[in-house]
Amino acid sequence: MFFKSGKNNGFEGGGLVLFENVEEAMSGERALKADGVENRLVAPPPELRKGCDLALEINLVEKPAVERLLRSRKVHFVDILPMKGDAELLQVVQVTDFGEAVMVKAGNMKLTFDKASGVVLNISGGGCPDIPYLHAEMLAKPLDRAPRPREMGHTLCSLMLDRAYVQSLEIWKNGGR
Amino acid sequence: MLLICGTAPRKDLPLTEGEAILQGDTLRIGGAEIPCTQGTAALVSAACATLACLGKPAPRALLVGDDGSGKGSRLLYDHLIHNLPRLAPQVVVLHYMLPVMGLMRKVSEAASKAKKRPFMIADAAAMYAAKAAGIAREFDLFTPDLSELAFLADPQATHPAYVSRHLFESDSARIPELVAAAYANGSAARTLVVKGAVDHIAQDGRIVDRLAEPNIPALEAIGGTGDTISGMAGALVSAGFDEITAARVAVRANRTAGLYAAVTPATRIWQVIETLPRVLAEHLDEWARQAGNKNIERSAS
Repeated sequence: MFFKSGKNNGFEGGGLVLFENVEEAMSGERALKADGVENRLVAPPPELRKGCDLALEINLVEKPAVERLLRSRKVHFVDILPMKGDAELLQVVQVTDFGEAVMVKAGNMKLTFDKASGVVLNISGGGCPDIPYLHAEMLAKPLDRAPRPREMGHTLCSLMLDRAYVQSLEIWKNGGR
Repeated sequence: MLLICGTAPRKDLPLTEGEAILQGDTLRIGGAEIPCTQGTAALVSAACATLACLGKPAPRALLVGDDGSGKGSRLLYDHLIHNLPRLAPQVVVLHYMLPVMGLMRKVSEAASKAKKRPFMIADAAAMYAAKAAGIAREFDLFTPDLSELAFLADPQATHPAYVSRHLFESDSARIPELVAAAYANGSAARTLVVKGAVDHIAQDGRIVDRLAEPNIPALEAIGGTGDTISGMAGALVSAGFDEITAARVAVRANRTAGLYAAVTPATRIWQVIETLPRVLAEHLDEWARQAGNKNIERSAS
């Protein structure tokens, strides 16, 4: 019951990091706290339990940053899931052909590139603070030389932008088709 | 006073508050220079252009640098929680910031401690946080696009990346159904402006208007064209327009700015914003009159 106090600190993140065993969960908590990432130890609900009966609640929006941090610290985790609703990230990608440019939409993010040069023309949609940052970093660069959103971003919006980026790269390499 | 709160894509920008001045493609706020790009900078710039056209004081902006780590966003939340009652703005626009449910709830509580609760607008991740925290109904205006409307309509989702597939794949023909669902599950502000190929304006669960002209498909590709609608709507409400008139004028001005700028998918948002003074000078009075007439028809029906 040592983690019960964590339940009363008002933190509500909406995401769970699941671990195989308690030691890994404790290591995960230490790694995230050392980096200033808000989290708390919780018991996962039975329907989400995949490993041990201890998990970390995190701000789900920060899933990419948490994954990257845990991997860099060699902390093994089983999965990161939302505490309610659909467990799967949106996989659907929609493509709009503007003639000389193509817009690829993944979730709430849209990336538009020039068919001939592959240059990123615009990024729209989203709402998390890494999107204007990624917009500034990626704009006017060819897709194959632009930074990858998954590697620079911190949030679920950047993960959706990464989906649009991967699909855009594939379309461009196939001649804009 | 209109207060706009959000983040800027600069790691080195401390929490900065001040009157926002738009000069060409650059915003000047409290000694800081911020390029007018997609995000809160575009929103502030559109609000500057609108208020200048109306002869009203410039908006105040509260911006902080954040690359997505959330450190700047947390400073912004903390500042609002402790200072919103003292600042006493008439209208608050909350925009790009890391969505943190507990902190957004405290910001809304702080707004209620002001002598008069401000007119509260949320767009981008501030809207995600308000919906996920279950306090959407405490807000006066949300400005989602179609994918974000699907998020509002999904009672379980805490971010648009986790929306149910069947809701995400909805086309614009299902907007009335999604709007109804968002209101039914308490995930909508009192007024919604749903941005898309056809803009929909809804209030209290009912769609009150649809606007589709001029039709400029390339606007969807340009980063910041949703932000400009929120900025203009906030500016118009702070200038005394009712929220439905403000929404109608904002979406018409945005579309017309796209026409005047002859936009392509490669156009930058500042090129759209720089046409706003001409758009508003030529059309604002006429649109406001038409919107007012529609309001009278609506209240009589």
